[in-house]
Amino acid sequence: MKLTKFLTSAAVGLALASPSFADVKFGSLYPISGPLALLGEESARGLELAVDEINAAGGIQGEQVVLERGDAVDNNQATGEARRLISLVGVKAIFGTYSSARVIAASQVSELAGVPYFELGAVADEVTGRGLTYLFRTNPTAANMGKDSIEMLANAIAPGLGKDPKDLKIGIIYEDSSYGTSVAGHQDAHAKDAGLNVVLKSGYPANTVDMSSLVLELREKGVDVVLQTSYQNDSVLFLQQANEAGYKPLAIIGGGGGYSMQPTADAVGHDVIEGVYDVDFTQFEVNQEATPGLDKFVEAYKAKYGTEPRSGHSLNNYVGAKAVLEALDKSEGFEPDQIVAAVKAIDVAEGTTAAGYGIKFDETNQNERASMMGMQWQDGKLVTVYPEGAAVAEMRFAE
Amino acid sequence: MTTFLQVLLNGLMLGGLFAIVAIGLTLIFGIVKVVNFAHGEFLMAGMFVTWLITTRLGLHPYASVIIVVPMMFLLGALTQRVLIQPLMSAEDDHVQIFATVGLSTAMINLALLIFGADIANTPNFGLRTPIEIGPVRVLSGQLYIFIAAIILVAALQLFLKNSQTGRAIRAVAQHRVAAELMGVNVPRIYILSFGLGAACVGLAAVLIAPLYPTSSNIGTYFVLTAFVVVVLGGLGSIPGAFFGALVIGLVDSLSGFYIGSDLREAVVFGIFLLILILKPSGLFGKRMTLSHLS
Repeated sequence: MKLTKFLTSAAVGLALASPSFADVKFGSLYPISGPLALLGEESARGLELAVDEINAAGGIQGEQVVLERGDAVDNNQATGEARRLISLVGVKAIFGTYSSARVIAASQVSELAGVPYFELGAVADEVTGRGLTYLFRTNPTAANMGKDSIEMLANAIAPGLGKDPKDLKIGIIYEDSSYGTSVAGHQDAHAKDAGLNVVLKSGYPANTVDMSSLVLELREKGVDVVLQTSYQNDSVLFLQQANEAGYKPLAIIGGGGGYSMQPTADAVGHDVIEGVYDVDFTQFEVNQEATPGLDKFVEAYKAKYGTEPRSGHSLNNYVGAKAVLEALDKSEGFEPDQIVAAVKAIDVAEGTTAAGYGIKFDETNQNERASMMGMQWQDGKLVTVYPEGAAVAEMRFAE
Repeated sequence: MTTFLQVLLNGLMLGGLFAIVAIGLTLIFGIVKVVNFAHGEFLMAGMFVTWLITTRLGLHPYASVIIVVPMMFLLGALTQRVLIQPLMSAEDDHVQIFATVGLSTAMINLALLIFGADIANTPNFGLRTPIEIGPVRVLSGQLYIFIAAIILVAALQLFLKNSQTGRAIRAVAQHRVAAELMGVNVPRIYILSFGLGAACVGLAAVLIAPLYPTSSNIGTYFVLTAFVVVVLGGLGSIPGAFFGALVIGLVDSLSGFYIGSDLREAVVFGIFLLILILKPSGLFGKRMTLSHLS
């Protein structure tokens, strides 16, 4: 008798203590093994930190958020994991994904199931703009990268060089997969709109082992400003071969990828990469008046993972996830249409998030306030120089 | 004119680079008759070891040749003994190809596990110094690769022509059954040859590491061109691979400058197809001894 009573009360106690009744489950879908694992994991950490922060403040609608991880190691597995998260785990929404190809595949599953999907880091144009109802994207994209690099050139670099931007000969080079091609296309279009003089636009395969003929072509055409959209090996190769051929354009503006990573600077040599510009997601050497909450994020990151953030991916995922979770707190419930209505109402002003950009979704569910920042390699460090409000250092110019 | 000379020289140097990677591949193909799809990953392994030795011990990258080349020889010999040899008796030759594809994938992911996804940068010890030759310039490291490729081709030719083992290797390459009847230990020759081919790519790895950042997928950057070079040179021909590499290097460089970087692969592979249509046995291939059908 006593035993039964004890067991019953224990069971009741466990049931009450167990949080499963008052939990809301979301999917965290990133490549956490395979070749994209490094930055996939880095991105996932941003989401985890946003969830920790929200949970510590009481959760959303009084419920604690629980993340269920999925591994999007390749496109097939991305769809498989999306299916598992939706039908087996029963997540109310999915967050992800770092890789554009993975989210394009996985979001087809979630769209059919009518489950909201929040993309916090993939940059390809095609992620939004496919007419999906339940897919939202918070981060800046290839279009932002193209636009912001031309604006930085026209508004800051050219005046600093003492030139009219229209007098500069521009060369656009890019790795020829969909990433480089789409950024280069936006750069070309924006440059032409601004009346700038693009004298060369040339793609190359990212796994090239020689860029010397491209360097010679740029030099022969007298290109003053090189815009390169690239991964890591081809960034290193171009900077080295340009230097060795004695080709010194007035400015080199890299787009994301390899240009933002410290190992690239170490491989090329700090003297060679000195002065090179870069347009990318918000990084950590930035004026915190434009990015309130950044130091708090870095502290939380170090406390949880024991290292400095390894790239800006975690920050951008954190900012997007936090805005979405805060909006869901104001929603009536977790039905898909309630979630969609809640995030459509998001209106976060510029300069109020830890990444600097604001958040408001346009009719394609893309964050129309997303933007990138301009950085420059100075003395072996990547520092933010553009826009002025976010700059931590003066832009330097070639003589 | 200067630009033309520079483009030409760049092409020759690129050719030297392709040659030194392709020699080991053509050697293995010519003798063991196995297309080694893990060839690029052998290169990657050699480059990582060179990087480790150079950064950990502070030695000149070229000094690591005394460790990397024997190590790669062992790796190659082991691959033949453990992976390929048991499959030699398989009814279908293609089984060996799939085995090397599997080895390639395993090696790439093993490298990812051990070294991570970041690039590993071997200090170049001045090997990226441009040397001025008249109006044109070339990197010292590239020049050494070119010279090393010539010496390697000559040394292999001498070894295969004049030594007893070399004769045995050629006998096996020509007709493995006849060689066996003459008392040649064929499995041993295969192990030796695979090791030799891997040792050649070990030498290539040591020479290339200071010039290119190493990453787990660096092998895939070189291996497709290496296959083209091997086929173009006449399968299994060592001087053929060398001249095939020069042709590809020159075409790549000239078309990259005069036609456009985005079209150079189209030109390279277009010319490759054209040569194969006109001369199916490759530039230096004999009218196909068809020894590999034996």
